[in-house]
Amino acid sequence: MASSTRSIFALRAAPSPVIGRLIGVLSVAALILVWYLITLGAAESRVVSPAILPTPLEVGRRLLTLITGGSDAEGSTLALNIAASLKRVISGFFLAFIVGVPLGIIAGVSGPVRAALAPHALFMRNIPLAALIPLTMVSFGIDEQQKTMFIFLAVAPFLMGDAMVAIVRVPDKYVETAQTRGASTFQIITKVLIPLAMPAIYSSMRTLFGLAVGYIMLAELVNADLGLGHMLLVGQRRSDLPTIFATLVVIATLAFFVDKLLQLLQGKIFPYRPAED
Amino acid sequence: MVRHLNSSTGPVPETASTDSPQDEGPSPISPATVRELHENAPAADAAKPPVIEFRNVTKTYGDGYTAIENITFHVDDVAGKGEFVTLLGPSGCGKSTILRLIAGLTPQHPATSGEVLIVGKPVAGPGPDRGMVFQDYIAFDNRSVLDNVAFGLECQGVGTDERYERARKVIAQVGLNADRDAYKYPHQLSGGMRQRVAIAGTLILRPKIILMDEPFGALDPATRYRMQDLIVNLWRDLEATVFFVTHSVEEAVYLGDRTMIFSPGPGRLLQQLEVPPPDRPAKSMQREPGFLEVVYAIKDMVDKLESPLAKD
Repeated sequence: MASSTRSIFALRAAPSPVIGRLIGVLSVAALILVWYLITLGAAESRVVSPAILPTPLEVGRRLLTLITGGSDAEGSTLALNIAASLKRVISGFFLAFIVGVPLGIIAGVSGPVRAALAPHALFMRNIPLAALIPLTMVSFGIDEQQKTMFIFLAVAPFLMGDAMVAIVRVPDKYVETAQTRGASTFQIITKVLIPLAMPAIYSSMRTLFGLAVGYIMLAELVNADLGLGHMLLVGQRRSDLPTIFATLVVIATLAFFVDKLLQLLQGKIFPYRPAED
Repeated sequence: MVRHLNSSTGPVPETASTDSPQDEGPSPISPATVRELHENAPAADAAKPPVIEFRNVTKTYGDGYTAIENITFHVDDVAGKGEFVTLLGPSGCGKSTILRLIAGLTPQHPATSGEVLIVGKPVAGPGPDRGMVFQDYIAFDNRSVLDNVAFGLECQGVGTDERYERARKVIAQVGLNADRDAYKYPHQLSGGMRQRVAIAGTLILRPKIILMDEPFGALDPATRYRMQDLIVNLWRDLEATVFFVTHSVEEAVYLGDRTMIFSPGPGRLLQQLEVPPPDRPAKSMQREPGFLEVVYAIKDMVDKLESPLAKD
């Protein structure tokens, strides 16, 4: 009774889904309105110069052109650019998965392997992302292979670390229960530790894949003829602000839907553990 | 005062052992029926080693903490019948340490000194002959009830059809519905149901020894009574020796043939009592004045044994 009459301003109370969405939409509308007002009028009389910020209308029109299949200045459609970026992310991520997850599982299971890998993982995780660009360019050239390796090197150490932690965090009681039911060490690893760690490993993969979709832009600023990062670069070279802004909207939307898809798959792959947001 | 309990409780309750050989109705229970056991008596049959034997077992950890000190007891191997031993005592008295030493689980295993013998042989490590049920209802999250219960058989390489058939039988034995519950996942079950799954997963292997570490400690009272009845009924046709750790004197007295009382810091075995067997449903037997008298007598005894003045 008290809760049904509770004010939406009550401390830490979550608004109902409908009210919550409404507030979210209004908040975005307010931002666009402010954006509209500060870019209103002739170029010289605007609060913010058109060299810094395009109008929402310009960005919206460009976005529409991109989505409806209009090709950019170089004759590539948005779909082609998205596909190029995703292909690079997926190939690099797949490589990171087949190397990082098994290594992490072995490190989680075996204390000595964990101790041996710890310094390497620590080193790799502390290399700034941007520093991997020159490194991969020296070792792998400036073509597709370099972009795949860039994602691989950026993701694999984290994937390994998270897989290791997931294995280590499976409570002892599960292992002990399996032992008192006669499971061998190998059976404990394959039937208990890996299945029970998988949901946490998947969650980590979901987060890292989202980050990788962002990372690839960095690699695409160098010698790419397709990709969302390349679109940003072309926009920058031509001082085409509406294209840059529209591309940013596309990137954020893409990342959102990729995550939703991975979340949906999570519920399908692990029906025994409800997917967390 | 409590002599005629059996006549005053009316008709014999239905769970009062229809298959028990000495079924002459429930016997009266009073503190007089509690008998102290002494460890200096040699094993009944020298040719037949005890099921479980502790010889001066001490466990001290690397940091100098002593969990149990100089524990000695044995549980005889009686053909066709296992003994139900309950372990009672405050936190830190080493009850769980004893269970885990029997199970062969680290870091309690191996003991610092003394011997832990199972049917005459020292414990080498965990094995399916000594099943363990924990307090926090361990069921593998990724496995259905059926696959949880069949886990031990799966590890032995028993074929799918046979292990599922046997698992279904055990699922029914522990009071779950083999059709409705078999394909549920643990997160869809209540605490009591999950604990039934854990018990079934142990029972299916027909272990000689079952170790239960406060298995009902986190359950609500009504569920707890039901689970106690379940254990009593299952144990009757199991022929296994059960070691059951509990904080509850009522539970220890109700379930046990023998109750071991421990004191903390470091854990010592104070006394072993032979207590009346559970021949009536948990809820009604634990309300009988005679039963309560036994419980109060043991509570007083524990208080006295634990008070600093009583220590030498």
